[in-house]
Amino acid sequence: MAAASDISIPRRRFAVSRRLLPYLLSLPALLVCIAILIPFFTAVYYSLQRFRLSQPWNRGMNWGENYLNFLTDPDFWNTLQVSLTYAFLTVGLELLLGLGIALLLKKRTRLNNFISIMLLMPLMTAPALAALMWKLMTNPNFGILSYFAAQLGFPDFRWGSSPDTALFTVVLVDIWVYTPFIMILLLAGLRSLPTQPFEAAALDGVPRFQQFWRITLPMLMPYILTASLFRLLDSIQQFDIIYAMTQGGPGDTLMVFQVEAYLNFFQSTNVGRSAALLMILWVITYFLSNIFIKNWLRLRERARGEV
Amino acid sequence: MPELRIEDLTKRFKGEAVLDGVSLTVEDGETLTLFGPSGAGKTVLLRCIAGAVDPEDGRILIGGEDMQDVAPEHRGIGMAFQNFALFPHMTAFDNIASPLTAQRRSRDAVREGVERVAKLLKIDHVLSHAPRALSNGQKQRTALARALAASPGLLLLDDPLRNVDAKLRFEMRLELPRLLADQGATVIYVTQDYKEAMALGDRIAVLSDGKIAQVGTPEEIYRRPASIEIARLFGDPTINLLDVVPEKDGAGVFARLSNQRVPLHGGLEAAVGRDCVLGLRPEALRFSANEDGIPVMIEAETPFNEKTVTLVVTARGREILISRPAGTPAPASGAAQIAADATDALLFDRATQARIVPDRDGGSTSEAAA
Amino acid sequence: MDHMSPIERWLRGIALTVVVLFFMFPIFWIVLMSLQTNETILRSPPSMVFEPTFGNYVAIIAGRLDSNVASMGIAFMDNLWNSILLSVGSVAVALLLGVPAAYAFARHKFRGSEEVAFTLLSFRFAPPLLVLLPLSLYFQQIGLANTYLGLIWVYQLICLPLILWIVRGYFEDISPDLEHAYRIAGHSWLSTFRRIALPLAGPGIAAAGLLAFIFAWNNFIFALVLASADKQPVTVGALAFVTASGIQYGQIAAAIVLSIAPTLALALYAQRYLVEGLSLGAVKG
Repeated sequence: MAAASDISIPRRRFAVSRRLLPYLLSLPALLVCIAILIPFFTAVYYSLQRFRLSQPWNRGMNWGENYLNFLTDPDFWNTLQVSLTYAFLTVGLELLLGLGIALLLKKRTRLNNFISIMLLMPLMTAPALAALMWKLMTNPNFGILSYFAAQLGFPDFRWGSSPDTALFTVVLVDIWVYTPFIMILLLAGLRSLPTQPFEAAALDGVPRFQQFWRITLPMLMPYILTASLFRLLDSIQQFDIIYAMTQGGPGDTLMVFQVEAYLNFFQSTNVGRSAALLMILWVITYFLSNIFIKNWLRLRERARGEV
Repeated sequence: MPELRIEDLTKRFKGEAVLDGVSLTVEDGETLTLFGPSGAGKTVLLRCIAGAVDPEDGRILIGGEDMQDVAPEHRGIGMAFQNFALFPHMTAFDNIASPLTAQRRSRDAVREGVERVAKLLKIDHVLSHAPRALSNGQKQRTALARALAASPGLLLLDDPLRNVDAKLRFEMRLELPRLLADQGATVIYVTQDYKEAMALGDRIAVLSDGKIAQVGTPEEIYRRPASIEIARLFGDPTINLLDVVPEKDGAGVFARLSNQRVPLHGGLEAAVGRDCVLGLRPEALRFSANEDGIPVMIEAETPFNEKTVTLVVTARGREILISRPAGTPAPASGAAQIAADATDALLFDRATQARIVPDRDGGSTSEAAA
Repeated sequence: MDHMSPIERWLRGIALTVVVLFFMFPIFWIVLMSLQTNETILRSPPSMVFEPTFGNYVAIIAGRLDSNVASMGIAFMDNLWNSILLSVGSVAVALLLGVPAAYAFARHKFRGSEEVAFTLLSFRFAPPLLVLLPLSLYFQQIGLANTYLGLIWVYQLICLPLILWIVRGYFEDISPDLEHAYRIAGHSWLSTFRRIALPLAGPGIAAAGLLAFIFAWNNFIFALVLASADKQPVTVGALAFVTASGIQYGQIAAAIVLSIAPTLALALYAQRYLVEGLSLGAVKG
């Protein structure tokens, strides 16, 4: 019976590789990490330079000049204002809508589950393509939305091509694409809330309206925070929808950071200014993402704990 | 079968020593139960031996060979986990077969090996089931079967009966000694249950706060515990511990309880006048009809199957437990007298908590941790 | 919550109907449009009554559009092919790089592991152009510009953090004892990884892979900056198609339908994991 264990087992094999193993496993990911960091630092370097692709002879360090110029540059202030307006408008509206829909769908019925799955479809549509779809829908010749607008008494409603309504139009597309994101996160949050506080409140005769403010909302806060920050981080960098819809126009109505930087780079070939713009955007997102990651980790821990 | 030697093993987690210089030898073919309260470091010690955890310091020798830098799969160990650790995506058969397939045995040999242990553990009828389809007891047996399948020379059993119900635990406790003896393996059996430790172990090692507090046969640990803590851990109901200052007169060394003499071993002369703790096992106490007993009041009586435990209170308010075989007549309630067997009394130093070992020559020494 | 007044029930029903209409209508409408000829599209007022035709799809798939005015080539099938190649390639690479790394991060807390994981994560939230613009210059120099390889590399920016953080969570959920038990039973590290860790994390890996595919497919900006016409995926290609073909609305709609159909289908298939994937593992569905 004991014969098997008498087979001499080859021992003492990977003494060294055992300690190296985790490093070896993550080496490729590490390399990708470095491959991201190199262009990042290059961008920092560019942002400190006078650098136009069209004038290679004129290239040189100008240190903070690109940044200093922003102070007196109305285009920059316009960009900042448009980006912030867009970000807060979209996230605010999506949060309200998303929370509302999540509350409507809270109960686990077959219909609610079906609807919540259906609502994922806009989210899974590429934002650039979503913008094209809405562009077709708002086409002045045959767009169904233009037709509806005309029926409602706005025969000249020009959607994305008028400076007055361009922001409204892209925000609408953003809401169409991303509200389901907030909805689905909050729905998961709502459904994971413990039931005891609600039962206790019902026993105590707390009206449902107050239950929402006193119990649901505070308990849902971590989810709301994570979802909003997540969206805010994306929204302040929105490119796809705006570029596909109007390329930042008409005029400079929708010149958000990334569109402005993109056009600076490829149209005016002003690499230095483009990089400096992106650095400022990066600083904003860096702070936001630090707050976000802290919240996100806490939520992740909680999700892991529930397993 | 190999001998296991552990020398000065140290393991820290976040700067805190979980194992603090543990040295231990398990003889070839011996079953050693590793006993200790939860958090004492038993599981960590087992994991170090298995190679699942790397110790900071010290050596582990299996069959005389240093295990540092030997991967777990090359240590020739079988291990059963407290939480069973059955592979959820494999059938019971594949679970049990895993040590055999690792040796690249033929399909027939694997089947034969699995069926042998499965029959031994009476789970041959559930081999095609997935772990989640098994009852708790079957899971536990599958885990055990997996550990035994390849007939490892060294068997590590991490509290395998912890998560099964009382009836099963009782059955397995009867079955295991024969099973382990048949294996002929060197066994370390971790448990938190002192009865299990005493029933299964050739010897018991008591682990406390990451240190080996005492190693000895069950008899030794029970009769001659090295410290108050060990005395308290073994025995149910727990040992009575009473603060005393031993005295000496013409008749010999004694402790005074409620102005009555409790005679002590003659070799405890050195303890006279020191602050001590007297340890009296409940079964070493009996009710006495004589008037020279210690007067007590009976507070409560709890019958168990094989014994009856009585709680009494001395005149000074000290609570004492007395155990007597079931069926023996009960004393009248209210006032009673008790007496102690001098030979069974244990004496501990109150400051060091160590047992004071009687010396034949009349002197005494404090027993160091073995 | 179970006792609702009839009014409330009505309001709820209306609200849900409006929500479903708003979110479903554009997709519905684009599908209708793709089944119409230009003549019926341009009808005013628009009508739901028309004779459906697959002509638009035929034209796109055949790659030629013959009208009574002229005949023009449509390269949209190439875009579709590029999308498939780029997305599948990126996910494959991300799985190859990300799964072992996720395992290392989950099981061995080694020096610098958290830093790498967080750097990757934080660049998921950094402006993509910040990395893309310098890269476009580098790519010119090292010859990676407008290559599938270069694009797939850049796609790791979105795929790798997703795979890393989701799969890591799945590995963390596996009790280390299972792996210890298999090792102690005599199996090597590698076979333990293959037989225990991988199968048990399998659903998570599959879900993360599907999601990474969706995100890669839907990406627009990477290819816009780094690819020229022959390497562009559908997102960029559709935009170019609109500019090029101007008034062929039926074909544009058909192209959009073809472009969004794969991700929508995958999303419906993987919807159980979407919540977890979209929140990078922070919320479980």
